[in-house]
Amino acid sequence: MKPNDVNENWQMKANEIEQQFLKLAKTVRTDERVPGGFAARVMSQVREQHALETSSADEQFLRFARNLPDNERVPYAFEKRIMARLHDLLTPDPLTHWSRMLWRAAAPCLGVMMLAMLFSTGEPADPSAALPADQPEAADFESVMLASFDDLELTW
Amino acid sequence: MQAAETIPDTDVRTDEELVALVVGGAVDWFEELITRYQPRVFGMARKYFRNESDVEDVVQTIFTKTFQKLGSYKGTAPFEHWFMRLSVNTCYDALRRRRNRPEHTISDMLFDDENWQDRLGNIPSGDDPEGLEQARELVHTVLDQVSDRARIVLTLQELEGRSIREISGITGWSVSLVKVQAFRARKEMRTAVERFLMKEKRL
Repeated sequence: MKPNDVNENWQMKANEIEQQFLKLAKTVRTDERVPGGFAARVMSQVREQHALETSSADEQFLRFARNLPDNERVPYAFEKRIMARLHDLLTPDPLTHWSRMLWRAAAPCLGVMMLAMLFSTGEPADPSAALPADQPEAADFESVMLASFDDLELTW
Repeated sequence: MQAAETIPDTDVRTDEELVALVVGGAVDWFEELITRYQPRVFGMARKYFRNESDVEDVVQTIFTKTFQKLGSYKGTAPFEHWFMRLSVNTCYDALRRRRNRPEHTISDMLFDDENWQDRLGNIPSGDDPEGLEQARELVHTVLDQVSDRARIVLTLQELEGRSIREISGITGWSVSLVKVQAFRARKEMRTAVERFLMKEKRL
């Protein structure tokens, strides 16, 4: 083989590899992930630039307010204070418990009351009228039971 | 409570793990969450309230509310987002409830030795606590002049650099409502600042 042929072959192979590489590179998806807070960072820079360019008082005020460091000082043992308060909240108060129970009992009591009302409105006003005709002994039983009271009325 | 025995000394747990423990009855783990978030919450509350007792009250309310509502945290979003949303909303509620709004008048914030606009040009450094305190007072005095909604939007958008969508997520307002509020807030703030300047010119 002549040196020229070797060179040509090598060149063709290199081109082929290059094409393959480009093909492969095209198939790789672009990494579009954005670092956290990137938009906020860029926006703060844009605002800063805008505030520098404009000299209006409100923009100046915003720039001033934005650049003040946060005061993150925490009072001594603040977390202990909160925890103590939470423990107080968790400890059941007997009065609260009792009133909660009363409220819970209110619904069934109301139900029983409604049922009693329904039964009482369904009954006739005169109980003797409700007695069936084929049971005369019921009326007799009542008159025998109340006989002593009738006598009492007469003596008075 | 009963969880005290199960707390290992050296173990860094994620927020979500801590929430699961607290919801599961290990209430003492909530202290860890408080310790993690209290500097941020204090920093945030001090943007809305100048009085230190108001700040402590609102931070206490935030943590109490968080504890009570912890069961409703579903874990679909990071705990931090859920918590910050609750914190901002609690601050907004507290702002609305607060009476006697302007604690300092505009005249209190006018300086004999310095022009108001000059002062805005000099941002005090961290090693000047008195200057910083005065600067914070100035910001509070201006922001006290705007409505509560405007204050929330201005703080979130202009001071914390949050996007409209983020504010919508935090406040629960629609994106279009946040846009409208942001526009109104800027207008209100401009009026407040102009009022300062007018007053200064008159004196």
